[in-house]
Order: sequence, then C-alpha cells, then structure tokens
Amino acid sequence: MSTQTMLPESFTALEPFAVDWALTGSAARAARRGSSTAEERQAFYAAAAGELPRALDYLDGKGFDAFDAADERLMAMMLSLGHVALAVEQQKDAEPRHARDRAHMQITKTPAGA
Amino acid sequence: MWKNRAGEIAMNSPNPTFTPVGQDALDWLGTDPVPAKPYYDPEWFELEREAVFRRSWQQIGHVCELPENGSFIRRDLEVLGASLLITRGQDGEIRAFHNVCTHRGTILVDEDEGKRNTFSCPYHMWTFGLDGDLISAPDFESFHVSKAECALPAVACEVVGGLIFVHLGKPEGTLREWLGPYATKLEMMPVARATTFSEYVYEIDANWKLTYDNFQENYHLRFIHPSAAGPVTSPDNPFAYPTAYDFHGPHRSQRIWTKPDMDPPTGVQAIAFQRGAVQAMADGILGTETAKDYLGLFPNFFLFGSPMQHFSHTVYPIAAGKSRGVIRLYWIGEDETPSERFAREYFMATARDVHTEDRAVIERGHKGLASGALKHIHFQTQESLCRHLFNMVAEKVEAYRSEKEGAAA
Ligand code: FES
Ligand SMILES: [Fe+2]
Repeated sequence: MSTQTMLPESFTALEPFAVDWALTGSAARAARRGSSTAEERQAFYAAAAGELPRALDYLDGKGFDAFDAADERLMAMMLSLGHVALAVEQQKDAEPRHARDRAHMQITKTPAGA
Repeated sequence: MWKNRAGEIAMNSPNPTFTPVGQDALDWLGTDPVPAKPYYDPEWFELEREAVFRRSWQQIGHVCELPENGSFIRRDLEVLGASLLITRGQDGEIRAFHNVCTHRGTILVDEDEGKRNTFSCPYHMWTFGLDGDLISAPDFESFHVSKAECALPAVACEVVGGLIFVHLGKPEGTLREWLGPYATKLEMMPVARATTFSEYVYEIDANWKLTYDNFQENYHLRFIHPSAAGPVTSPDNPFAYPTAYDFHGPHRSQRIWTKPDMDPPTGVQAIAFQRGAVQAMADGILGTETAKDYLGLFPNFFLFGSPMQHFSHTVYPIAAGKSRGVIRLYWIGEDETPSERFAREYFMATARDVHTEDRAVIERGHKGLASGALKHIHFQTQESLCRHLFNMVAEKVEAYRSEKEGAAA
C-alpha cells in the first residue's frame, strides 16, 4: 500500500474510497453509481455519509480558490456520495433495475462540470 | 409529474384538508374517450409538424447560453427539419437564423456553441456576420445577385423570462401575446435570473404527446415513483393531486399540492436540502408566489417554479414514435460554495432518478398504443391537462386539414 495520501489530513478515514469515488465530472460520478455493486455503495455510504457535514464545512471554509488537489478529490468524493445516497436511501432494492433505465438519461451539463 | 420535498423546508404553510379540483370546473374540456391513433399514427404526426409546430412559438434555449456579444448556439428542430443558428450580435441583440448558407444550402455551422464574429461556409467560403448579413464571398462579382439578397434567412426569435423562443412560421402576434398571463409568471420565476443550469437529455421511443402527458398528471406518482411519492402523499390526497388547474389558450398550469405534515428528510438528503436552502435564501427565491406553479406552455415545454429544483422540460418530437427530452435545472450564479455545488449535484441527480422512472413507463405505453390494439384511451378528471393538450392539438390539426382541403378544392 502506498503511504501517499489522496485526501486532506483530517479525512484519512476516507482514504480507502478515494480511488473509486473521487471522480471528475457529474456524468462519471453518476456512471460509477450505476456500475457499482450494492456492497461497494453500502461501504462507501457507511464510511462517508456521517462525514458529509464536516467535509462540506471544511471545504466551504477553504473556498474553491484555495483548493489543492486533495481538496478537489474530497469535493468530488462528496459529490459521488450524493449519487450513491440516492441508491442507498431512496432506491434501495430497486437500484439495479433503476440503474439500467437511468443509463438513458445522459448528463450533458452541470455547473460542477458534466 | 413529480413532487418535490425541497420547497417544504422554508414554507410551512399548513394546508389541513385537501380538496381536489372538481369535474364541474373541467366539464368544458369534454369527457369522451380520446382517439388513440393521434398518439402513434405517422400520418397524424405529419399534420402536426405544420399545424402545431410551424404555428407555435417553441422554447429553444436560454439567454445564459449566449453570455457575450458574439456568442452563438446551434439547435436542430427535427420536427420541422430545421437547423437554427442563434447569435448575440455586437449590439447585444439575440437573433435566430436558419443555419443554412444562402449560396447553395450547406449547413453553415456544425459546432453546438461558441463565440465568434463571423461564420464561414466550408464549401465556397461565403462569410456571414452575427446579424446574418453576407459579409464576403469569393469572386462575388461573377454572381447575379446582391449581397443584401443573400443574408441568412431570419427566424422570429423573442425572449421572455430569460427563455428564448423561436417561431418558424408566420407568428400571429408577439411571444408575449402568445403566452398571455404566463409571460408574467415566467418573469417572476428564477429562470428569469438564471445564469447557468444542469442538463440531462434522453431519447425515447414514444410519441411526444404521450411523453409530455406523463408529466402533466400525478395519477401515476405513487405507482411509478414509490420512493419519491411515499413522503409526499397522504390519506386525504393519496395521489398527490394538484390544488388547482388553470388554462390560457393552448397553455395550462397546475398548482402543486404539498403535504402539510411531511416528515422531515433524513440522511444525506436532509443535508442536501439544508445546504441548498441556504443558497436559495441568499438568492431570494424561497417563498416566492410562483414556487408551486407548474406551467405547461404549448406545445412541448414545462417549467416548475420550485426554488431549489427549478427545472424545465422540453419534449422535442423527432418522429411519430420518437422524441427527445431535455431537462434543465436553472441556477442563479455559478457554484459559490462547495455546499452549493453539493446541493446542486444532488438535486440534479434526484430529478434524474425520478425522470428515469417516467421514461421507462412511457416507452412501454407507446409500444402498447402503437400496436393499434386500442381505438380509444381514457382520461379521468385529474388527467384534464392531458385532455386539454389533446383538444388543442386536435383543434389545430383539424383547422389545418380543412385549410388544406379548402385550398385543394
Ligand atoms: S454552399 Fe456555402 S459557400 Fe457555397
Ligand atoms: Fe412521473
């Protein structure tokens, strides 16, 4: 395992999820939700959902202009968490079928970058 | 249609008992079964192209897509076989043209959007300005026409509430006249101040009316959107029917009912709503008069006034059995904070989840109808907006048909 950290210091607990979920682009994040397994979603949600308010407060405190690469990754991960939360909190067992139908809805533009 | 929970956070106006709109108020729309054929028949669709789409203002974009003088967008309107070029001139004016070189008809611009002062046709380098004028053409002295006669063909284009509309026929009046009182509503909604948006697009093997109708009735909500419908329905309004309907000419609207004693959201959803509400408050769009208005502008455009999920939905017909839906969530200002970015991405994904469920069942509906098995379909009182759309389309198609027959006789 690399000792290189990908996330800001105070979020080391989320390091194991960074490679999978710190993705650039709303469409890529939505697609990762769609291709994930229930176990992957559950593990990410369990680790990250409770950290969401603290992560947003930390990132708000810094502001976009002061973001470094680690902050960018934390932001992207939290955006992915939003997608994953819809599967875990809303769709639940319907998620696999929902993912298939959802593939027809192509994200073309977002302020975060599609 | 769908329900939003977002508006609830800031607006706790209790609404103890629900009274649905009665049939009496809607009798004027008729109660007969509606013929099924117009929902799949290619011949009917051919008539709609001219009778409906050539004769209506159509929503095509938003001024925020043309932020600077010299900005342009290209839009294809398959239903009329048109490619349009929409520009913002050096004078700041927004204009629309057929995206067709006047020399020998080549499509002029093939980028979706951009910024420039001139457009050159790749074929023989005729070059046009943002105002459509022909600026230069190689060896033009050898032609037998003046430059003034070679401007790009203009298309009527007007803006209300930040929304750009075009008319590809001969408009009978201004866009504002066409919209009537809904023009003022549009101007009161956040879309009028929007500077950016999130967008997702779907293609669907279904007729545009069948597709559009899905989004103007709540009858399906609890069955097709079980997870979204759960918290927003109640024993006195189990279908989450709207509190009011309104009609103006070919347009219509409904006022969305919100459950007075709704359980607060939990988990990540709750955080998204909290963070989103802070920003909506800062933008001054919470609690506005139009927050519960859901407008359906003839022929194919919706706009929901909800402050935090303020979305438009346009259903573009491609063929009798093929359409494209474009959904946009309009926002005021770029993402100012990471919290705002989070809330916007979450709301976009939420809307996309709900529309996914709609898309799947609409396609299934079209397949059944297109089999020709049914002579009629049925609309109940709370599907009156669907009936109104059919009535408006049928009226225009019949009028067009008799004009044609009159001309042929
Ligand atoms: S067709 Fe465009 S320059 Fe000839
Ligand atoms: Fe729906």
